[in-house]
Amino acid sequence: MTDLTTLGIAEAGRRMARGELTSAALTEAFLARIAAVDGKISSYITVTADIARNAARQADMEMKGGVRRGPLHGIPVALKDIYETAGVRTTGHSHLKVDYVPAIDAETVRRLKDGGAVILGKLGTHEFANGAMTPDQPFPAVRNPWNTQYQPGGSSSGSGAAVAAALCMGAMGSDTGGSIRNPAGFCGTAGIKPTYGLVSRCGVYPLSFSLDTAGPLSWTVEDCALMLDVLAGHDPHDPASASTAKVDYGAATLRPIKGLRIALARHWYEGGKGAKDASVATEMKTSIDDAVRVLRELGATVEEVRFPDLWDYHVCGRVIITAEAHAIHRQEVIETPEKFGYTTRRRFQLGAFLTAEEYVSALRFRRQLALDTRAAMRGYDLVMTANQWGAPETFQEPQPIFHFLDKPSLTMPFNVTGEPAMTVCCGIGSDGFPQAFQLAGRAFDEASVFAAGAAYERVTPWRSRRPKL
Amino acid sequence: MTSPKAPPTLEEFRARAAHTGLPLTPEDIEHLHKGYLGLLEMMARMPTGWAWAAEPPHIFRADE
Repeated sequence: MTDLTTLGIAEAGRRMARGELTSAALTEAFLARIAAVDGKISSYITVTADIARNAARQADMEMKGGVRRGPLHGIPVALKDIYETAGVRTTGHSHLKVDYVPAIDAETVRRLKDGGAVILGKLGTHEFANGAMTPDQPFPAVRNPWNTQYQPGGSSSGSGAAVAAALCMGAMGSDTGGSIRNPAGFCGTAGIKPTYGLVSRCGVYPLSFSLDTAGPLSWTVEDCALMLDVLAGHDPHDPASASTAKVDYGAATLRPIKGLRIALARHWYEGGKGAKDASVATEMKTSIDDAVRVLRELGATVEEVRFPDLWDYHVCGRVIITAEAHAIHRQEVIETPEKFGYTTRRRFQLGAFLTAEEYVSALRFRRQLALDTRAAMRGYDLVMTANQWGAPETFQEPQPIFHFLDKPSLTMPFNVTGEPAMTVCCGIGSDGFPQAFQLAGRAFDEASVFAAGAAYERVTPWRSRRPKL
Repeated sequence: MTSPKAPPTLEEFRARAAHTGLPLTPEDIEHLHKGYLGLLEMMARMPTGWAWAAEPPHIFRADE
């Protein structure tokens, strides 16, 4: 018998449409697997088994009656625990919100439920999508399912770990400086940071208003596209939300990529000889070179292109995050500093030392970088680069307070520009950890990102190997 | 930014910390001093010569 928990969203949907599978059976399979193995990786903070069973029964009843709500109808998914859920606690992985039960759902949660998705529960996260996972927080640290001695990346740690470990078919994450793409890369899943403004953040705990995005992680690119089909769309309650034409992202994954032009930002991940120039591990370079070859064989043109320096995006994004996160959490770090983890508290305090001029300069710099990036992309549909520098970190204590000082983030450029960026797994290293590259597109052109990512996945073997728990 | 800033000593930083309104322990201040110096060094990359009217987006919209 097929293991139901490793089915893709598209395949599970097809089986349910044909009456060969029920959402109730699928949901029970996931609940059983969560009970059996989640103790090893602690990806869930709250499992909403009864709510999930009710939603699954409802979905089965509707589908039996010929009602199809869309690609997520009857599909079990989970939420990073910064998404507000009516009647279910939303902790932010923090003592500050450990008993907080929202009255209404986040807009994205409402859309998932309207689309018939089955919510399995709430997932571990870096505290308020920022601080590291430390022992002074109320829930255990999420572990990497490929090797539980290592971290899964963050801040959407539970989302990456749960998807990779087949504990849900898709998960919601958030991405302010790479928080979807880091765990996706380290856990070997797909994950997309959508264009800023495409997916509502209403009801999602903010970290940095002008950089925050909400988006999905799943095992395949195709499944991410199907999730985005349900999630994307204008929300008048999110001031950054954009009004854009509806796009069929699921269909976009079947587009041929012959003629697609891809700009390879190799200089971001193969640094020079300066003290501050970082370079990815040798195996990662080889895997990305292989991915370039595959994309060329599929008919895409891949050419090296020079973009602004990676450190420029990194400092720009970090100054904005530091200032805005301080503004958001200032009152709490004054009144109840002891309730934060020791890294989170200091990261939120640091913004008090930035000047207004420094913050505004970073915003001005952001506009310049966005324009320069757009100019460098002229004549290209996509940008390709590495997703992470190498293997994930271990759980050594104490953890670095200011983790962003040593190396620039490979994911930050597309938070600064606002463009969509997706993580695609491109191999398993000799250390047993997944390797990954990013594909980024023009603003609101997620369709091209999905087309290239899905085409790559179809002709490579990396989706057939899961971590063993 | 208008001019490069000399990095503050720990003593200078401590005096500044007293004006932030935050309840900071001596350990907090030491960590924050290191973090601030790191950020200051990184911020040296940001351009200094902005036109006075260079206006950042009030709300960033990628579809603008």
